[in-house]
Amino acid sequence: MTWRGSSLLVAGLLLAGTLTACGGGAQSASTAFDANNCQGGTLDVLNQDDAASHLDPARLYTSGGGNIPSLLFRTLTTRTRKAGADGAKVAPDLATDTGEPNADATVWTYHLRDGLKFEDGTAITAQDVKYGIERGFAAELPGGAPYLHDWLVGAQNYPGPYKDPNGIAAIETPDAKTIVFHLNSPHGDFPYLATATQFAPVPKAQDKGADYEKHPISSGPYKIESYDKGKSMVLVRNTNWSRAVDPNRLACPDRIEATYGLDPAVINQRLTTGTGKDGDAVTTDTDLGPSELAQLDNNPDLAKRVAKGGFPYTYYIAFDNTKAPFNDIRVRQALSYAIDRTSVVNAAGGSSLAYPATTFLPDNKNMGYQAFDFFPAGKNGDPAKAKQLLAEAGFSNGITITLAHRSADFNQDGPKVATAVQDAFQKAGITVKLQSIDSDSYTTTVSNPATQPQASVEGWGADWPSGGPFIIPIFDGRQYLAGGGNFNTAHFNDPKVNADIDAINKITDPDQAAQRWGQVDSEIMKQAPLVPLFHTTQLRLYGKNVKNAFVSDWTGVYDLSQVSVK
Amino acid sequence: MLGYAVRRVSGAVAVLLIMSAVVYVLFFLMPANPAQLVCGIKACTPDRLALISHSLGLDEPLYLQYWHFLVGLFAGRDYSTGPSIVHCAAPCLGYSFQYTEPVLQIIGERLPVSGSLVIGAAILWLSLGIGIGVLSALRRGRWLDHVVNAIVLGGLAVPIFITGLMALMIVCVWLQWMPFPTWVPFDEDPVLWAQNLVLPWIVLALTTMPVYVRMSRAGMLETLAEDHIRTARAYGLPERQVIGRHALRGALSPLITLAALDIAGILTSSVLTETVFGLPGLGQMTVQAVRNVDLPVVVGLVLLIGFVIVVCNTIADLLYAAVDKRVSVQ
Repeated sequence: MTWRGSSLLVAGLLLAGTLTACGGGAQSASTAFDANNCQGGTLDVLNQDDAASHLDPARLYTSGGGNIPSLLFRTLTTRTRKAGADGAKVAPDLATDTGEPNADATVWTYHLRDGLKFEDGTAITAQDVKYGIERGFAAELPGGAPYLHDWLVGAQNYPGPYKDPNGIAAIETPDAKTIVFHLNSPHGDFPYLATATQFAPVPKAQDKGADYEKHPISSGPYKIESYDKGKSMVLVRNTNWSRAVDPNRLACPDRIEATYGLDPAVINQRLTTGTGKDGDAVTTDTDLGPSELAQLDNNPDLAKRVAKGGFPYTYYIAFDNTKAPFNDIRVRQALSYAIDRTSVVNAAGGSSLAYPATTFLPDNKNMGYQAFDFFPAGKNGDPAKAKQLLAEAGFSNGITITLAHRSADFNQDGPKVATAVQDAFQKAGITVKLQSIDSDSYTTTVSNPATQPQASVEGWGADWPSGGPFIIPIFDGRQYLAGGGNFNTAHFNDPKVNADIDAINKITDPDQAAQRWGQVDSEIMKQAPLVPLFHTTQLRLYGKNVKNAFVSDWTGVYDLSQVSVK
Repeated sequence: MLGYAVRRVSGAVAVLLIMSAVVYVLFFLMPANPAQLVCGIKACTPDRLALISHSLGLDEPLYLQYWHFLVGLFAGRDYSTGPSIVHCAAPCLGYSFQYTEPVLQIIGERLPVSGSLVIGAAILWLSLGIGIGVLSALRRGRWLDHVVNAIVLGGLAVPIFITGLMALMIVCVWLQWMPFPTWVPFDEDPVLWAQNLVLPWIVLALTTMPVYVRMSRAGMLETLAEDHIRTARAYGLPERQVIGRHALRGALSPLITLAALDIAGILTSSVLTETVFGLPGLGQMTVQAVRNVDLPVVVGLVLLIGFVIVVCNTIADLLYAAVDKRVSVQ
């Protein structure tokens, strides 16, 4: 039996099982969710992997998007815990506001709230926040986002507090409640960055370096009762936290028990069936599997319990615009016309998991999404138009290109999508030779201009829901890094776009900035520097007793700080 | 006997050292870079990568890294966690920067899980496998023999993740006899420990058993046809004694080696059983370690697997001699 055959069989078995199981007892009528009366119960988390490869605020990458870390680590700012577009905004967390900028957004000042305490009852100070940030610079604690290295004045080579206890001069703490950041250039997005776990306070006296992750000191609504890395974790209430000092997190369950190392099919099956404690269960790393997707249309009870959202993400075909044949805009346009987005979306898992992309920005209001389609390829591509453009460019016999893809399909940049692209391009006279690159070294190979393939299937996700981190690394000509770690694989460099980026970085009003990012997106995409393929959607199941599992446009998944099992 | 033991042990040590060296070399040939992995995809500039490689000791040449590993094995090693130094006492198999713990300790935490899994399953598959095999040999050609043959073929053909998921489906979803199993340590609650392990034991036993049924059936038939059995019967020994004392011994000896290898294999690498039943054992850890390019853990696990196989084989050899008097340890 082939692997595919056996997984289909498994899916079939599970499907049959669920239908039988759901034919049984009627669901009890649940009472409506009430934030003021939601406390109690134990929430179970069923996961394939540990919620964090390193549960250390210095080492977590995702900006507060991590579901469990956000229950332990409060940061200067955080995301508003709301559904949809409202949930993609910044809210004050430890700080009293989202930050006071100076006139050109190079100096940001924050004041801490009153009454903030760590789990052991000691007060949280601005110095603790500063120390937490400095830890992120230590080579012993790698993994955090690079922005602070690049943005803080003179911090590029700071080796971390273990080697240089004097700290970073660009972060001032004039008193226990005030912290001031000096940036080397304007960054209107700084309040978004301040949601990252690097902005969580760490008490210096309790820092154990790499061992800190075994029991990080909580500033959030829960603290660790036990943690067995890769196996399980139990969180209990942090009695030194209250809603009075934290307007964002509801923290309904009294206790959270996480189990790691489970099979994805088993996780989805347990959430679907919901026997016993599994009715109070959620997952933070497993999306719907094939057997649940197949029954969504016929099983309204199950469909009701699926949280649908989208972490802002775009998949695209990248190629170096300065190299032939892509240095001719007609060739780039031809590629855009030739693409069959229906087949590509199907290859990515179908319309419930992906939607076609004609813009670079995903359909996310806060990122400045504006709808446009400069090279309308329709549902299935326009090979005639593509051929015509190629002929105009002098390639009336078509062209041959090499398209690299990841060797495995676990991301959506694997062989399935690459093959769909190959088929569509064939109709337009573009012969595609596929090049499979080992999954583990794919990003390193593609992001190094010395080893970059002629064309490649790539994906980009936002570190926070603003146009900045989405557009700058990919299209800012000054971010082309010839030595590696380069994400401007298009080698795009337009002085007007660069100037626009600098201007928008000075804007501190998110709505105004979003408006401008949308315009920049359209300005860039007119030049067809890459072929956008699709944006992704996530579908995630939760247990039948779980309430208030809504999805924000920031994380694309439900938020454990808001759910209730009472 | 002493000479045999010395030869055996030194041979085993040599094999283990060669295995560890091979794993080191293999890791250097792999495309993935552990420093790149911890550095992050977006976050990593070449400068930062160099710093991290240095802090993980990955910037040293291969032979030096391996030398440090060998020294640590016999003398222990020190590792920096930033503000403090952690000492990993000999025999130090290395220190995992992924788990921030010495490898031996991590393996020690997972071993009871895999051990619990294999003990119960082995008892089941050995007793059932041999019992059914012998019975079916004695009833050769009758309906019981045919039924057993069919079931055995089925058991051989279905992979464990299907049997496992089916068992979960039937027991936990349809019949709802018990909740989905989780791991409960024996010293915490022996009853819950056993309750949660019953399903994985049965499933593992069912998929491992068929070979034992077939081999004990074939071995039994072969021995029953031999001269000494005929002689024993001719002397008028009761049939129970003929089978129990004379036939069974000859039929079982090949199974001992097989069981030793199976037990060693399941103890260290039953990945699918462990993930399907949510058991945080060594198999699961192997997969995670390989995915994270966690070289110290992988080397430690390879050494453990080698060690367990060597030990099991030695036990098998000794048992072989005990069961079959014609073989003596020399």
